[in-house]
Amino acid sequence: MHPFAPLAGRGGALMDLTLLLQSILAGTTNGFVYGLIGLGISVIFRGTRIINAMQGECGLVGGVVAFLLLEKLGAPLWIAALGGALGGGLLGLVVDTLLVRPTRRRGASEESFLLLTLGVAFAISASVLFFFGRDSHILPGIGGEASAVFFDAAIRWHAIWLIILSSAVMVLIWFFYHRTHLGLSMMASSLDEEGAATIGIDVPRMRTLTFVLGGLVGGLAGVLVSPLITLHYEMGLLLTLKGFAAAILGGLANPFGAVLGGVTLGVIESVAVLSVSSGYKDVIAMTLLIVIMIVMPNGMLGRGSRKGG
Amino acid sequence: MSNLLDVRNVSHSFRGLSVLRGVNFVAPQGQIVGLIGPNGAGKSTLFNIISGFLEPNQGQVFYQGEDISRLSVPQRSRRGLMRSFQTPQVFSHLTVRENLMAGCYKETGSGLIAGLSGMRGSRREQARMGDTADRACEIYGLTGVRDQLAGKLPGGQQRLVELARAAIGKPTLLCLDEPSSGLNTEEVNQLMAMLRRLNAEGVTILLVSHDMDLVAVAEHVHVLCFGEIIASGSFAAVKGDARVRDAYLGV
Amino acid sequence: MRIKRLVFAVVLVALWIAIPAFASRSVVDMLVWTGLYTIAGLGVSFLLGQCGIVSLAQSVFFGIGAYASAYCATQFGWMAPAGFLVGMVVSALIALAVGWPVLRLSGYFLALATLALAIIGHVMFLEWDWLTGGTLGIGGIPALDLFGFALNTPQRFYFLVWPLAVFVLCLHRNLLHSRTGFAIRAMRDAPAAAQVLGVDTRVLKVKMFILSAVLGALAGSLFAHYVTFVSVDSFGVDRAINFLLLAVLGGATTIFGTILGALFITVMPNVLSRFGDIHGVLFAASLILAVIFLPEGFGGALRRAFVRSEPKP
Repeated sequence: MHPFAPLAGRGGALMDLTLLLQSILAGTTNGFVYGLIGLGISVIFRGTRIINAMQGECGLVGGVVAFLLLEKLGAPLWIAALGGALGGGLLGLVVDTLLVRPTRRRGASEESFLLLTLGVAFAISASVLFFFGRDSHILPGIGGEASAVFFDAAIRWHAIWLIILSSAVMVLIWFFYHRTHLGLSMMASSLDEEGAATIGIDVPRMRTLTFVLGGLVGGLAGVLVSPLITLHYEMGLLLTLKGFAAAILGGLANPFGAVLGGVTLGVIESVAVLSVSSGYKDVIAMTLLIVIMIVMPNGMLGRGSRKGG
Repeated sequence: MSNLLDVRNVSHSFRGLSVLRGVNFVAPQGQIVGLIGPNGAGKSTLFNIISGFLEPNQGQVFYQGEDISRLSVPQRSRRGLMRSFQTPQVFSHLTVRENLMAGCYKETGSGLIAGLSGMRGSRREQARMGDTADRACEIYGLTGVRDQLAGKLPGGQQRLVELARAAIGKPTLLCLDEPSSGLNTEEVNQLMAMLRRLNAEGVTILLVSHDMDLVAVAEHVHVLCFGEIIASGSFAAVKGDARVRDAYLGV
Repeated sequence: MRIKRLVFAVVLVALWIAIPAFASRSVVDMLVWTGLYTIAGLGVSFLLGQCGIVSLAQSVFFGIGAYASAYCATQFGWMAPAGFLVGMVVSALIALAVGWPVLRLSGYFLALATLALAIIGHVMFLEWDWLTGGTLGIGGIPALDLFGFALNTPQRFYFLVWPLAVFVLCLHRNLLHSRTGFAIRAMRDAPAAAQVLGVDTRVLKVKMFILSAVLGALAGSLFAHYVTFVSVDSFGVDRAINFLLLAVLGGATTIFGTILGALFITVMPNVLSRFGDIHGVLFAASLILAVIFLPEGFGGALRRAFVRSEPKP
């Protein structure tokens, strides 16, 4: 998942400093990706109390849809990106109406929802393998391959756009939840199901919309990440887990912590691999996830009660 | 008469909100002791501290003369300090009989390996657990529902199961959290009879309730209000206390 | 009633003995896999159904067992039982070290923590190539030898793996009805109340996690000696998810349901592979349907059918 080629050679102190800065930039970029996936996970968790184990696959679908629009139909980049996000949203809609609702009607436990979404993740991954093939693909980034340079450290323009767009999405979601009627209704039905129903809010519909919103965010994340890491049928699971780590780090109950958590995770990950083999990057991230869940179940911001387990 | 339980200067706060402020009280051996107070007085917090589910910020809990403040729930249980819960906690996927067999945990000793191998010792122990459970079913009038899943029983009977299960564990001090909630008058009377019998067998009982009438069985009553003990004494004396009346009337 | 059951059991055993004589090599091979999956899956299933612990980390212990047997046999030339023992002991120690902190979690957090463990395990198997051979793996593991009788065909291995599988299933059934078994189920239904009865739930959970890990290692060692070649690809997250799915499909609350789950997970992909490359999609779809429509798994559904067909005495 390195968006940048590893830099060879460690010269003097200046070189090390550059290397460090480079790692921090790379980590921040990755962090925003994790944060965006985590944002989707937290949106869905807050609205439905379900941990969506297919969030990474929403990204995969988003990326694939965007790729197909670009390559097969020759659509412009922004149309492809929009299509990718919508693809993720559509996936959320389908999964909720066809699968989550019947399972909920049966009064299923936390674990069965996790298994259900895990099963869907499998199905999506297998479908992408079947229809799209085993090959990796790469989307063109915004601004092509060009990079900006800060103190000898390079960052691709696309990465900068990714950071800007992710931040924009976060702000938009905040406004949606706090300032729009629909957003407030969705928040109300997750906080107090019965109360919301008595004032005439259609709670099941709000849950479906939550899934759609989570899917949209996931699809967009997929579109944004695909120019940096290759689009591949197996990319979803690790994205989901790192997104989850980001969401927990920021506090699951607080969607806006996810981006903060993601950046923290991304930077720790990429700075840590400076001292150990880069093969251990995922080990570091996963260890961090476990430690955070044990030590800080409410995340770094530490507000709100723990509802995860 | 010695004090079985001695709570000394216990304070506790949640996120800066002080719930208990220097609470002191004792439960003498062999008595039924009541702990009453209006909702939000800190009863549940104090109860969790006594039973080991919560560590107090300050103060100690002495039991049989030993400081047990740092002991875990099972460690306290092995010393004979047991409790019930406000909503009855039965093992819902087990039958009533199996619930009571699970209650024999402390009285039996076979380990994991013996359990896996199904050795004769383990089997004999199972038979003994079954006998104990059957006897308890008779005593507590649960024979009729013996083989039903405990989770499917009505609330009142679940409470009986919980109490019978605790009694099998031979408690020295039994702490009951709002035992009358969800029970009808007849069931409350049945419960009272059971408590008296346990007490006659030498079990000290600590009764927590916001229900004044229930606490009438207690020989000694402590009144907790806004994190402090505001009155202690016999039920009649406490009932007559002006501050207690104020607390209950919500002035 | 009793006689009916006895006849049923005799028929089952006769059938079991007869299968390798009639069935093709590939079918017997599939059944050997079912046996291996039953042993490792039982660990997961018992944790899930009786202890309320979701474990996605079984692939790690499966891998440890396999690598221990492979390494001990090919590098040290030790006898097979030594490799089995090393695998189980190492698995137990790792389960103790990891389980002690991680098993404080519950629900989603626990499930995700064990999934993270599976990823960590997979990366470790890959990176520690001086021990595991990395992607190249370890080959040339000798077949097991039982009293001078080499278990080098599926037909022969079948007669080792199934008695072992049934043996561990019986052990777990014993456990369920013992004192510890009651404590386990009490802990699953109402942990706080179990503590009040004197059950140290934290210790008990770790013990059960260790037991499950030992089963995973046992299955892993058997696997290494059966296929005679192990590589990191066999111990990925997909394997861990398969173990959990078989537990869910089999019905975690019934012990013998594990066999049905294992059968599904080994037979289904084989059957579906006839449909070509789409089998992955079909397999995932069948899993989703099973999760939605069979909440108690095959074992639970079967038990219910039995209860309905047999009028109460």
